Amino acid sequence: MKTLVLGLGNPILGDDSVGLRVTRALEGVLNKEQVTIIEASLAGLDFLDLVTGYDRAIIIDAIQTREGKAGQVYRLEPEAFNTTLHAASPHDVNFTTALELGKKLGLALPQQIVIFAIEVENVTSFSEECTPEVERAIPVVTDMVMAELATSS
Amino acid sequence: MRKITIDPVTRLEGHGKIEIFLNDAGEVENSYFQVPELRGFEKFAEGRLAEDMPQITQRICGVCPEAHHMASTKALDALFHVDPSSLAKKLRQIFYNAFYVTDHVTHFYILGGPDFIMGPDAPVAERNILGVIAKVGLELGGAVINIRMKNHHIIHMLGGRAVHPVFGLPGGVSKGLNEEERQEVEQIARDSVEFAKLSLQVFDDIVLKNKEYVDMIVSDAYTHRTYYMGLVDENNKVNFYDGKVRVVDPEGKEFAKYAPREYLDHVAEHVEPWTYAKFPYLKKVGWKGFVDGKDSGVFRVAPLARLNAADGMATPLAQEAYEKMYSTLGGKPVHHTLAMHWARLIEIMQAAEELLKLSQDPEITSPDFRTIPTATPDEGVGIVEAPRGTLTHHYITDERAIIKKANLIVATLNNMAAVNMSVKKAAMALIKPGIEITEGLLNRIEMAWRPYDLCLACATHALPGSSPVPIYVYNSKGILIKSLS
Repeated sequence: MKTLVLGLGNPILGDDSVGLRVTRALEGVLNKEQVTIIEASLAGLDFLDLVTGYDRAIIIDAIQTREGKAGQVYRLEPEAFNTTLHAASPHDVNFTTALELGKKLGLALPQQIVIFAIEVENVTSFSEECTPEVERAIPVVTDMVMAELATSS
Repeated sequence: MRKITIDPVTRLEGHGKIEIFLNDAGEVENSYFQVPELRGFEKFAEGRLAEDMPQITQRICGVCPEAHHMASTKALDALFHVDPSSLAKKLRQIFYNAFYVTDHVTHFYILGGPDFIMGPDAPVAERNILGVIAKVGLELGGAVINIRMKNHHIIHMLGGRAVHPVFGLPGGVSKGLNEEERQEVEQIARDSVEFAKLSLQVFDDIVLKNKEYVDMIVSDAYTHRTYYMGLVDENNKVNFYDGKVRVVDPEGKEFAKYAPREYLDHVAEHVEPWTYAKFPYLKKVGWKGFVDGKDSGVFRVAPLARLNAADGMATPLAQEAYEKMYSTLGGKPVHHTLAMHWARLIEIMQAAEELLKLSQDPEITSPDFRTIPTATPDEGVGIVEAPRGTLTHHYITDERAIIKKANLIVATLNNMAAVNMSVKKAAMALIKPGIEITEGLLNRIEMAWRPYDLCLACATHALPGSSPVPIYVYNSKGILIKSLS
């Protein structure tokens, strides 16, 4: 199974870098012949360019929810994002729309997409550090991704 | 497994929002468009090597990394007092024009297009790219994805990476083109010119042939008489990459024309108590509040502003389209915010035509793409036109090129005063006592800011993947009576 592990985030925007940090931690432990690891700072349609051609994608990203506590980890599937299709984004489509569009256009999207989302706190001040709660979640998520990869590869 | 549902609105705590306040009579009293402002970049930059800035600054924004990369690279040219070779400038422009095609195409088809193709009153669930392909056909959707991918390929080829290029260096670029790559660029450029033609045709068929839409474009609700700013070349033609900054007044007369290093003589920033965002204005006119006209220092940037601020386009087919726009909308300057969508398509044509011309340039495959700087660094300003407006990077360093001070005027912020005015004016025109505030009505308010192609300071989360800007309407008691998110 051709698998992509995709870490998303901004490396200089505090907790937003958490997805990238997890992929960096995985770099050292994964067998890269079976798994492709990519770090990226993008969203929307660019996301389609990245995941096309893989059977499975594991995405690691930061998230903010209303009641969330920094460092909480969620394992999600794309259906969790029953987001609005309202085109109110300043520039690009959201995750759901991008996937939907990819399907309609017949792109070779992964049959399985799993998202590990880490609840974050600071994403508005430039910094190369994560808050301690988010920092502590990094090894936890790394293990979760390893376990996920072991389930069916 | 427990099903977890994520409410997208929750992503918005601390993010952008529009609030509209009504008076006792039910008319619009005031409105505020608040944007999240990322903090601490200047401090973050201090003490770092200037040479790293093209890599660091492109991380500021998930939408236009290439624009920051290029503004920063040009600031380094100035900082190190080095003039890149003509080849280096041409390679940078190949890269930059390819970026323009991808960025403008995304905006038109994902955001601007749906309002017109589906109609402003279409249900939310249909007024998006999915609705567009359902209506216009999968073929166009495929063409959009395809042309973006091809131009990304050029960015990747020169930039070394698909996103966050390692391309610009003080005095030049890191990589040239070989003959095989040149041929690829040429083919992609040809395809892009064809795509630009198709897009202008789509606009013609769907928007211009619909009287209701043309009436809406020229209506007062979406019109502001402001100053306009944009880079121009030595012939005063639109230039995305280089040149002088030209400002025209609301009558279209040249008000100022200056080199990047002089920007602080012309632009100042106004602060309001209700937002972190600063509002740039023309220093020599002065800040008179959120008002239009010749006496107000409010100016606009981005596609329509660039066309208004120039005497024409730099390429023939774009020039043809430019002339058509101005003759259709009653001459220069055009003050109608919604015409930005049209101007954006005209710019796709210029970017594609320039790409083609550059790909056929006899020296484009030669090896002289870097001039090694030898002077001592001190201070440098670089300005490019980001797709969403004039973008300024300014660095002051010590003699080792370590940053002492960095100042950035981000493209989108130049438009923030006008965006606030646009939202308020549309709201005042549309919300009237006794008229039900429908989703379609709120979308028409949203249409007043959408053309600006704002790149709000947002983290680059994929989840849920966009930062929607909700609209909240409050009555005179401060009670929320309607929202669209």
